[in-house]
Amino acid sequence: MNPSDSDASRFKSATTDRRGERDLDDLLVHVARGDTEAFEAVYDRLVGPVYGVTRRVLRDPSHSEEVTQEVLLEVWRTAARFDPAMGGAATWVMTIAHRRAIDRVRSTTAAADREHKTADVHTPHDEVAEAVEASLDRERVRRCLEGLTDVQRESITLAYYGGYSYRQVSELLKVTLGAIKTRIRDGLIRMRDCLGVS
Amino acid sequence: MRFLRHDMHSLSGAYALDAIEGGSELDRFTRHLSRCASCASEVRGFREVATALAFAATAEPPSELRDRVLAAAARTRQLPPEVRTHARPRRTRAWPHKVPWVPWLSGVVATASIVVAVLFGFAQAHTQQELDQARAVNQAISLLLSSPQATLLSHSTTKGGVATVVLVADRHELAVITNGLPALPAGKVYQLWLIGKTKTVSAGLLPPATAGRTPAVLASGVVKGDTLGLTVEPAPGSIQPTTKPILALPLPV
Repeated sequence: MNPSDSDASRFKSATTDRRGERDLDDLLVHVARGDTEAFEAVYDRLVGPVYGVTRRVLRDPSHSEEVTQEVLLEVWRTAARFDPAMGGAATWVMTIAHRRAIDRVRSTTAAADREHKTADVHTPHDEVAEAVEASLDRERVRRCLEGLTDVQRESITLAYYGGYSYRQVSELLKVTLGAIKTRIRDGLIRMRDCLGVS
Repeated sequence: MRFLRHDMHSLSGAYALDAIEGGSELDRFTRHLSRCASCASEVRGFREVATALAFAATAEPPSELRDRVLAAAARTRQLPPEVRTHARPRRTRAWPHKVPWVPWLSGVVATASIVVAVLFGFAQAHTQQELDQARAVNQAISLLLSSPQATLLSHSTTKGGVATVVLVADRHELAVITNGLPALPAGKVYQLWLIGKTKTVSAGLLPPATAGRTPAVLASGVVKGDTLGLTVEPAPGSIQPTTKPILALPLPV
């Protein structure tokens, strides 16, 4: 990686794939045409974060696997509807992944199950390069989260990783609804600036 | 609506984290989002932050999942792309309805013929829906034209007439207009194709010409190695080309 790269481009290459966001967008265009090799490549690059985020939200490994499979199949099925103008491929896939995990958690059975499960959600990658990449991401995100106020940080992590609605977060943190909405938004603005995303 | 606008706006963060529970509040915010360009842009930025949070949580799934997903994909039919042409107006399209207005020809490309073609789109519009459609296409084309990466290509067909193409490779999009193509007998149409190394996909039909010119057709999904083809097909168009292309223009992607 070029040491003179801006924060924004470093963030992009570190959080999407080793060859940059453009490639992933291109791959998705090929997936839309039924190219199975392109789909395998998309799988290899994105299954880690997809599984990681569903595991964080759902805790249960077998539920997380099911949701991961659903998400990647949806990517295969709907690749033709991916619109690069609305954001990058990685963001498109992660949005699907998080939504699917949340849908699962808000169905009551899953909600009951997760009360009884604990899991090590920091399972490291085997592959060295991916582990390095992930830890780079982890480090950047951790540093940016540290720059937030306690309420901002807790409300963002409870909502995103915990899968709680902002109303539930408001209950958990004993902060008014209006304040929680604002803290989440302000926190995300700070994160956005800290991570250097556009 | 009891919610103040400010209240609505402050929900953008919760929305981007999927932290609004389903129901009326989510519906209201989704509606608000479709009318508020700055909110949509803010949500896009927040989703990128969420993507970073997801990557930071990267974990390895069981290795057998890969085979299962690939096998399931092999059994799953893919959705077709949404087709966007003047010839077949659609109300629900993912692409141009939220693009910001870009001043005409602010980029490096200025082609009077494209402007003329778009104006014909307006001239031909009779209903509000057609007018909306023409406006959306107009916006999308001005966005293409204003891209610093836009490339202008022009080539004559083997039957006479000229096709002009504005290609924006990094957006995988192009716009095509034609001038002076021979008129076709009833029951025949001109169809555009993206001819790839392994696959050929339809890029839409040319709309009827006015004074020899066809309004712009937009196509997306252009990839490296594609050639733009034009064939004469039986109406209402074919799934794959059935005649020899009268134009085959390699696209510099």
